[in-house]
Formats: sequence, structure tokens, C-alpha cells
Amino acid sequence: MKHFKLFTSSLIALALASSTASFAESFAITNATVHTVTEQGVLENATVVIENGKVIAINPESIKADTIIDAQGRVLTPGFIGSMNQLGLVEVGAVSRSRDAGDKKADITFDASLAFNPRSTLIPYSRKGGITSNVVAPRGGEDMFKGHTFFADLSGEFESVRVSNHNVIIDLGAKSKGSRALALQNLQEKLEDATKALAKANKQSNNEKDKKEPKEPSRDELVINALLAGEKALVAYADRATDLLALLKLKKQFSLDLVLVGAADAVLIANRIAEAKVPVVMAALDNLPGSFDSLHASLENAAKLTQAGVTVALTVKGDTHNLYQLRFHAGNAIANGLTRDAALASVTANVAEAFNLDSGKIAVGKTADLVLWSADPFELSTQVSQMWIAGKEYSTESRQDALRERYTTSSDMPRAYVK
Amino acid sequence: MQKFLPSLVMAALSVALTGCLPSEQQDAKVVFNKNPYPSTYQALPLQTTLIKNATVLTGTGARMDNADILMVDGKINAIGNNLSADGAVEIDAEGKWITPGIIDVHSHLGVYPSPSVESHSDGNEMSSPNTSEVWAEHSIWPQDPGFEAARAGGITTLQILPGSANLFGGRGVTLRNVPSHTMQGMKFPEAPYGLKMACGENPKRVYGSRKILPSTRMGNMAGYRMAWAQATEYKRAWEKYESDYAAGKNPTAPERDIELDTLKGVLDGDILIHNHCYKAEEMAMMIDLAKEFNYHSGTFHHAIEAYKVADTLAENGNCAAMWPDWWGFKMEAYDMVHENVAIVDAVKNSCAVVHSDSANTIQRLNQEAGKVMYRANESGFEITPELAITWITSNAAKSLGVDDKTGSLESGKNADVVIWNQNPFSVYAQAEQVFVDGAKVYDRFDDKYQAKSDFLLGQR
Repeated sequence: MKHFKLFTSSLIALALASSTASFAESFAITNATVHTVTEQGVLENATVVIENGKVIAINPESIKADTIIDAQGRVLTPGFIGSMNQLGLVEVGAVSRSRDAGDKKADITFDASLAFNPRSTLIPYSRKGGITSNVVAPRGGEDMFKGHTFFADLSGEFESVRVSNHNVIIDLGAKSKGSRALALQNLQEKLEDATKALAKANKQSNNEKDKKEPKEPSRDELVINALLAGEKALVAYADRATDLLALLKLKKQFSLDLVLVGAADAVLIANRIAEAKVPVVMAALDNLPGSFDSLHASLENAAKLTQAGVTVALTVKGDTHNLYQLRFHAGNAIANGLTRDAALASVTANVAEAFNLDSGKIAVGKTADLVLWSADPFELSTQVSQMWIAGKEYSTESRQDALRERYTTSSDMPRAYVK
Repeated sequence: MQKFLPSLVMAALSVALTGCLPSEQQDAKVVFNKNPYPSTYQALPLQTTLIKNATVLTGTGARMDNADILMVDGKINAIGNNLSADGAVEIDAEGKWITPGIIDVHSHLGVYPSPSVESHSDGNEMSSPNTSEVWAEHSIWPQDPGFEAARAGGITTLQILPGSANLFGGRGVTLRNVPSHTMQGMKFPEAPYGLKMACGENPKRVYGSRKILPSTRMGNMAGYRMAWAQATEYKRAWEKYESDYAAGKNPTAPERDIELDTLKGVLDGDILIHNHCYKAEEMAMMIDLAKEFNYHSGTFHHAIEAYKVADTLAENGNCAAMWPDWWGFKMEAYDMVHENVAIVDAVKNSCAVVHSDSANTIQRLNQEAGKVMYRANESGFEITPELAITWITSNAAKSLGVDDKTGSLESGKNADVVIWNQNPFSVYAQAEQVFVDGAKVYDRFDDKYQAKSDFLLGQR
């Protein structure tokens, strides 16, 4: 009995300890140049108060917080959001047993979040780029559907995955074998079939005389149904204008929540994309005609699409290890005509809008994913001063820093002793 | 010693005599043309040009403020203050920065061009681990739109290399980045050839999967050594032929071998080694390998771990060509540090180079070098723009063996010049005008100086 009592009291103590750590602790960032990426715009000498992982006040009349951080006028932005890479699903590209982003048999139901590794060395490294969260996208697989995106933060904690089984990826466009037409046709038919099946099931359930149990939809049918219901976005890789137009048509016909990825030709039909309110996720630095589908790639495309009213989200194409460079891509987009505000939105709020994420803005009630920058976030000479993910501060120190320290510290002993 | 003198005299005499004696006739000496695909490059139309009032990074480690540069007859004529020249085209460059033309020592433009189609995938002759007989110049598609994009990024000189599938990938060629419809029209006159070698994962993966040597790193080393041993014999055979011929004999020339010609070119010091080699332990072995066979180990490309052997590289006169931040795509690229270039550079007699190996980043080598400078300075280095620019100009020229011609803004050097709208180490920096040999080849604000490849012409 005595032991039991001790046990309960220690449990209570533990509960208290953890609650002080994660709940009661509040902090305020004062004297910051706050880029809210909301209608509030940029607030000079502003204060942001964070408690319980959320932004609870901006410029309150009085500051109530456990800790005050004086930003000394520096820039505070929402944490940048990476997208369409394999963060946490790859450690070394060419080491097959460190790769989990794809599977030959993966289909529309594929949930790669089960393989997410928050301890990957890419995560602290990517924080150097002010990336606080990321839309992870499986790839590979023989099916035109690559599976689901999932949303994870870059805390490196085991609980990093914020949303799994999120949006559905489809890969369209040029094929090295066969015709691009077949994939579009298959997509169209799947959507049509599912629409019919839903209508039929509806009719059956309305008709009480029909005693027949309605057939349970299969797992992949459920995903298509979720697309039709707008519960999931269809995230489509496509470049050529004809493919983009085909997708816009399907969006209209089936009221899809559509996101275009790549979209090299988007600039040819920018007005139609803007009218359809379809976001474009693109790589700002893609300016070479890599294929006959992308003859119109240009460094100015991000600016041109934005000017036409398209919601543009920037992504770093290619190797996931380069994710941290996202801010430099945005900087180059500015050099090529994108406004500074639009550039910031393209790596924060617009990514959130495209992928339906509760992130990317500094506003009351939003998760406190924040970055304080030494200066202009897009400039090469700037670095992250401090960053917070869900209100908790994280360092940008990575394995690379440990290696540099080892090899720039003088020692009489072999380097292996320098730790 | 005395004993041998008379016979030497005799030999000399017999050479002199055989020259006059028709009875001991020699066959025509077998001589090979070392330059069978010669450059036809000519500078574009040029004018005497005076650029005024710029911040100049000379590429020699110096910075000059409010400086003028005079380009006459394709050469840098003078750099200084208050220059003037009769009839010169004057460019007011107040607020702008000037650097030497940017040089990329590692490019596959033209051999892996855009668009990326099978028909133009000509950069890796993956049919044997030693393909020293192939020359990258024979694969170049001069219509690659990547050349234009690189020019807009200030690239005036670039080395096109074969890929890294093979232990010996073949010869690389150095080009002037001017539009031409032939390879020869771009070829840098008198630039030495390079020989692409590759360490590590690529050769052993490509050939290991075919169950032929190499399938391991020790197989890689064996492959190099066997080739160099053979090349040494080949060189000896030719030297014997030449000395016998010079001695008045009528020797039979060795059978010509196009593959060994290239390796012999390295042993003769005519061809420079460009070695894809990521890892510290491999670079150290490649340096010893070169000593074993009496050639120079040249430049290590993609030298991710150069910072671990920075002293060794400098002691042995090796350049290391590096990325600022690529990593992790292979095991041999796992140990990247942002300060790699700076750590290599910090050693006396070093030769640190920033390279691209990419049709995309070649357009921004200035930013690539900038990333290194800023990250290193955050870690306690004191790197200035005038130093950082050497990584993509003079050091790169040294790596390619063209530093007597380009890579720095000095009187008498080729007038390869970039005018930037601001400090080139800014993310917002853009090349506004680019000159090759004193001729304007690019102007951001003048369509007349914006070339377009045949491929993109008429597309809609």
C-alpha cells in the first residue's frame, strides 16, 4: 500500500512536470519585424506571444509571458514549408535500404508516413533553411497513383507526423512507354465509375424496400470517393499544357480539389489556372527545356503566374537533401520578377493553401512554427537566428557541423578522438 | 664514365652521317597529329570597350573600387582609375561589380543536353571500364540551350567532361561559351585536354553488375594500375622508336593505340587529370597512384571530403573542385560540410574550385561560391569577395591549364569579363553583360545579344 501511494504521487509529479514543460511555458518575441503572411502584412516593432505551441497574441496591450525574446528588429516569418520531397523517407539516395519513399506495388492507398524517420540527419540539416514543416510525397511505384502525401514537422521528435494519408498523388504526362492518353483516360473513368457507384448506393439507401446490403467500397474506391467529396486534394504531376487543361476539365466536371505540380507550361494558360483557382507547385529554378513537355520553363514563370493570379508554391525539385535551399530559390524568383511578399507567401501560406495545411501564417490560434532571421530570409548571407516548431525552440546544428568542428579543431591525436 | 664517352661520340657521328648517306635510308617518320579536330573559334565582332567606375574583383585576390577596365583587341589592356581611350565604347558601371568571366571546370552541357532525350544522351561510354579512347568533344551537341543559360550566368569558359561510369571515362574538352553550330567553333584554342577518371561507387557499380572488373574499390585501383602500366610500356615503345629514329636507325613504329595515346598524353604532361573522387582515402591513394606511374594527379572533382585531406592536396599541388552543399545522394557524398571549399582554400598553395556538374547550377556559380563564403564566415573564417571569386575564376583556370590566358583581370589576359548588377555573391545578383575575348556575347537588356539555340527556334 505504501509503495502504491508512492507510485501514485510520483505519477502526479511526472504529470505536473510535463505540464509545466509543455503547457505553462509561454514566451513573447518582441521588437520583431513580423511578416504575418496574412492581410495584416508586415508589422514593425511587433510582439508575438506563444503559449501551448500556438500563437496566442500579436501586439497585445500588455505582455504576459514567462520569457521575453528581444528580436532587435530582426525579421520573424512563419516557418517555411517544404513540399513534394522524400524527407524522412531517405537517408542516402543510393543506399536502397535507407529508402522508403516508393514501392513497385504502391498504389493509391500507399501510406508512406508509416516509414517516416524523424531521426534522419536530413531533418536538422534542412532546418538550416528555416524549414519547419514539410509535405512528404512518396514516389516510384508502377501505378499512376503514387499514394498519399503526409505532413510532418521538422522537430525530429517521434511525433513529427501531423497529418497522414492526406492528399493523393498522380503522375501524368510524357511516358517512356505507351501513351499519356491512357493515364488521363483511366483517371477520367475511375472518377466516372465512382460517381456512378455513389449515386447507386445513395439510391439504394433511399429505397428501404431494397433489402440488399449495399456493397462495401474497396480501400482504393474509398480514396477516389474522398477525392470526389473534396476531402483530399488530387496532387498531379504534369507539365504540358494539354495535360494541365485535361486536369482543369476534370476538376470542373468532378469538383476536385486539384493541385498542379511542375506545370512547366502553366504560363501558357495562366489565366485559366487562376480562374479555376488551382494552385501550382513549381521549382523556381527550372528554366531549361528538360523535355518536350517543358519547352516554356523560365526563371520568370513564378512571377508571371503570380501576376496572373495563380497561387504559386515553390518547391525544391530533385534530391531531398537540397530542401534547405528553398529560401534561395525564392530569392532567385524575386531577382526574376516575383515581389518579396509573394515570394514569402510562396514558401509559407501558399504551400499551406495548396496542401490544406493549418500552417504558413503568423496569426492568433495558428501553430507556432516560426523563424527569426539574422536578416533578409532569402539572401545567401542570412542565417536562421532562432526557430520554433509548435512553440518549441530547435537548433539548426546538424551532423555537418560536427564534422566541420572535428576537422577544424587542432589535435595531436587522430581526428577520431575529436568529438 | 670516360669509358662510355667515345661510343656516345660515335652515336652522334653516326646520326650526322646517316643523314647524308642515301644507302641507309629511313622511312618517313611516323608522327601523329595531336590536334586532329582543331579549334575554329574566333572572337565575335569586338570593339575597344572601356568600363567605368565599377567595383572590380580581379580574380587575383584583389578588389578595386571605382575602377575602370579597358579592353582592346580582345585583351585586357588596362585596369585603373580615370582611364580613357579614343573611340572606345564606354559603359558606365557605377554601382555595378565586375569579375573575370566565370569558369566551370565540370560540365556535361552538350553531352547530356536539354532536352534530356535518349538520342542525345552521349556523355558516358558505358561499354568498358577504360574508355580513354573516347573524346567528349565528339559527343557535344552545340545546340544545347544550356549553353545560353550558362552564358546568362556569366560562364565564359567551361570544361565538358565524359561521365563517371568508367575508371577512365575519356577526354574532356575546354570550350569558350560562345554560340556555334560546330564543336570546333567553341573549342578553347590551345587549352590542354583533360582525362576524366572516376573513383569510388560509380565504376564498381556499373561494372560490378556485369561481373567484370571492377566490382570493388580494390578492383578500381587494379584497373587504374593495369592501364598505367600498359601506358608506360606504350610510351617507352614510342620513345624508343623516336630515339632510334633520331639515331639514324630505321625502326618500325609501335602499333598505334588510340586508347593508350590518351594515357601517354598524361604521362607526357600534355593532358591533365580530372578525377571524379569524393573521399579522402581515395584521393590520398590517387595521389600515390600518380607518383607510382610518374604523372600528376590533377584536379579532384566532387571532392566532398577534400577538407579531410586539405594539407595533402596542397602539398601535392592538387586542385579540388567542390559543390557548396550537395550531399547524401550516395554514400560517398554523405560527409559534406558547407565549409569544405574554405577549409581547402585556407591551406598555403591550395587550389580550391567551385564547380557545378549541373546544367542548372552552372547558371549561378557566383551564388554557389557565395554560399561557401557566408557559411564559412559564420564558422570563423574571414573570406572576402575578392578571395571567393578566385574559386570560380583563377583557380578554375589553373585546374584547366588555361590560367595564362583567362581567369583574372590582368593586362594582357583575354578580355573575359562579366558586369554584375551588384555584388555577385547576392541571391539577387544578375550578370548584365558578358564579354568573351573582348566581344560582347550577352546583354540582359538587349535582345540582340541574347542567342537562341536552333532547338528552341520556332517552338510554340
